Amino acid sequence: MTPSLWLLVIISQAALVGGQIFLKRAMTRREQADPGGWLGTLALGIATMTIWFLLWLGAMHRLDLSQQMPLEGLSPLFIVFGSILFLGERLHWKGWLGIALTSIGVVLVSMS
Amino acid sequence: MHRPVPPVPKPGFFRNPYLQILLTVLLTAAAQILLKLGADASAGDDSAASWLGVAELRSGWTWLGIFACVASFGGWLYALRFIPLGIAFSLTNAVHIFVPLGAWLILGERINLLRGTGIAVIIVGVVFLAQSVAVAEEKL
Repeated sequence: MTPSLWLLVIISQAALVGGQIFLKRAMTRREQADPGGWLGTLALGIATMTIWFLLWLGAMHRLDLSQQMPLEGLSPLFIVFGSILFLGERLHWKGWLGIALTSIGVVLVSMS
Repeated sequence: MHRPVPPVPKPGFFRNPYLQILLTVLLTAAAQILLKLGADASAGDDSAASWLGVAELRSGWTWLGIFACVASFGGWLYALRFIPLGIAFSLTNAVHIFVPLGAWLILGERINLLRGTGIAVIIVGVVFLAQSVAVAEEKL
């Protein structure tokens, strides 16, 4: 992988984490008694996810499926760290075990 | 720290947020296979447009894949109203169960022992994720 390809992958992962956090914030706010501004946050989330989608399509063009899948196996981990940091979510140890197993499974699938 | 009480979905089979996650996963798996078909159709292209994935837009498969992505988005937003982001997103790893199965059925890719083992490990992981949700909901 070339440095520019790494950069493409890193920026697309960051956009994915940021976009998902915006979406979750929007949908949480929507449920509150005063949901003001949730549509703006939703739009921000959709815009960030659109950036992610285009960058990811560009990366997909250059990576084999076997290279993409380990990267994708890691993205839930980035999302979990993001939701702990920015949303204050907690995870039971069974949740951590589940994430570890699914990530290992994704790597096994991609190695084959 | 004060935490707002998470909302509870209205009763009804289709309103179950976990069913919506399953639908999201199935549509995402379909989208991945369609986008792969679209990417293969423009594999020789190394123009500037291809770095942003714009070259793939010339393929009808890519547009079908985008449609499946958009459709999966509705279920995803609904699920986010009720499920923590970390757990919901980790559950979407189940995509990697359905992509190899779909690739086997549609693209003719073989499932060998390693790939089959990987699929089994993912299924066990999803079961643990589901149990962690049950524990979290008991505490409320």
